[in-house]
Amino acid sequence: MAEKTLIYNIQELTKAYDTGKVKIKALDSVSFTVSEGDMLAIMGRSGSGKSTLLRQMGLLDRPTSGSLLFEGEEVTGLPESDRTKMRLKSMGYVFQEYALLGELTAHQNVYLPGMMLGKKGSNYKERAKELLELVGLGQRTGHYPKELSGGEQQRVAIARALINSPSVLLADEPCANLDTISSKSVMETMVRLNSHLQVTIIFISHDPTDKQYARSLIVLSDGRIAERE
Amino acid sequence: MKTLKVAGFLAFTSLTRGNFGVMLLTILILVLVTLNLLFVPSLLRGLVHGANDKLKDTFAGDIVIESSLDNPLIPKMNVLIPEIEAIGGVVAVSPRNNMVAEIKYENERTSCVVYGIIPEREKEIFTISKSMVEGAFLDSNDRDKIVLGIQLAGAGNPDIELYSRSLKKVHAGDKILVKYGDGIQKNYTVKGIFYSEFIQTDTQAFVSEAEFESVNPLVANKASSIRIKTNDTADSSAIIEKIGQLTDGLRILTWEDYAGIMRSMTDSFHAIDTILNVVNLLVAGITVFVVTYIDVTNRRRQIGIQRAIGIMPGCITLAYLLRALFYAAVASVLASLMFLRVVLPVEARYPFHFPFGDVYLLVGFLDLARAFFILLCATMIAAFLPVWVALRMKILDAIWG
Repeated sequence: MAEKTLIYNIQELTKAYDTGKVKIKALDSVSFTVSEGDMLAIMGRSGSGKSTLLRQMGLLDRPTSGSLLFEGEEVTGLPESDRTKMRLKSMGYVFQEYALLGELTAHQNVYLPGMMLGKKGSNYKERAKELLELVGLGQRTGHYPKELSGGEQQRVAIARALINSPSVLLADEPCANLDTISSKSVMETMVRLNSHLQVTIIFISHDPTDKQYARSLIVLSDGRIAERE
Repeated sequence: MKTLKVAGFLAFTSLTRGNFGVMLLTILILVLVTLNLLFVPSLLRGLVHGANDKLKDTFAGDIVIESSLDNPLIPKMNVLIPEIEAIGGVVAVSPRNNMVAEIKYENERTSCVVYGIIPEREKEIFTISKSMVEGAFLDSNDRDKIVLGIQLAGAGNPDIELYSRSLKKVHAGDKILVKYGDGIQKNYTVKGIFYSEFIQTDTQAFVSEAEFESVNPLVANKASSIRIKTNDTADSSAIIEKIGQLTDGLRILTWEDYAGIMRSMTDSFHAIDTILNVVNLLVAGITVFVVTYIDVTNRRRQIGIQRAIGIMPGCITLAYLLRALFYAAVASVLASLMFLRVVLPVEARYPFHFPFGDVYLLVGFLDLARAFFILLCATMIAAFLPVWVALRMKILDAIWG
């Protein structure tokens, strides 16, 4: 059986916040790897460092120390412009609070990163429509975020995260603000994407029942890995 | 190209889907700033232009020849005038003699300079004959007749600037006594009163050359000064050089040199114009900066999201610059239309009144282009700075505050 490619290789990753009087370690020497095609759940109580870890992995923040290899490349010291390009090309990020651009329709929100990447010969508008179909919003492409429900907005955010066919989709508590039915719909959408499109997915959840959707699991406690399955 | 396309897309959607009230307010402020950028310089330019025109048309002509200290009178007018008239670019020539005098009417008296002129020649250079408010201008064969500027005559008009120092109630047809500087006294009938609206001219009095020679026979075929009108394209310095070759010992001056006060005033107005432009530029810049800063602060989260999903900072900056360009362009067009279609016609109907006459706003294509350029620069800088600050923030701080 062929060995799967490592998407992330994280070693001794530490993130400390200096509040002036006290130094708080949000992440304390965290080490783990994520392979291609995985669907990893990061769980833990509030304040355990889940979001901090995902932000380091999504290149939205820089660690205090440690190593973070993404697709074999050390990314902690990369200049901001290179990190932006990497986010655009290889990563899709889904925020807890959707983070859609209010002046754009669902369709425009989805195809904007595609437009920015501007791959030769790519029809990003068509692909955006396909992705919206895939997340079950084919009939709502022309709607603005405020005209969509929370679950629908989150699915638009997922479609947006996938527009440039990223190596990994990072979702920060995508169901935190959703009702049970919408949460189920969003999680099932991600499972479908993982199994059909082979997209590596890393998601955060504080709901233990979401474990059922994951192929592997990391539980954080006080910035350290407490459990790994 | 890709950056421009995305920036254009972001700018377009933010304009079409953004807060319409904010956009309207921004454009309105920019329109007011542009009107200010246009109004003050055009007023000053109109002021300078109007003053210069009055000076040339009623007081100095284009070129003035004066006698020197050694030769108080310029001799051989019968030879010199045709020679000057033969110089290319010269349109008209008029010799003048003058003498200080005191004028009396009833219990009022005032002093002035009385000029002996050839009316037909004067009419070719000056517009005084068209500015008569009472009576008529002189003819060459007029004797014992005088025309007075309104600031001398008063004409029963207490609204004029020098009324208190005038003869107050002299009208056309009245008899006045003129006491010349050489001691000769003579009664004159006021043939007309003129109001050129240029105060230095309206304090002058004119008699015909023949009349002047009758009280001062020494000036026959001589002049104390010569006024020259040139055509619009003439090179004054070349004409002055040619006149200088005709005879020695004369002072030949352009109208600007002759009336140094006007040059000083023009220079001062240019300085004021420059200062006001700098102030306007700062006002425009700060205004646009405040509006853009508030706008960008409100959009900081959007900027953070755009960065998080991989939109390059240069692209985000360009989007805001394109928005600023749109605001500046719309404001410039609206302000130009308002200025040309409303402000100018209204001001032309109700002009500003200055001691040298009505002043009309003067604006050209270059002024409009300059106002647009200034506004554009101020808008671009003002738009760039807050975006630059927002882009230097950490992405998460921008999104979550």
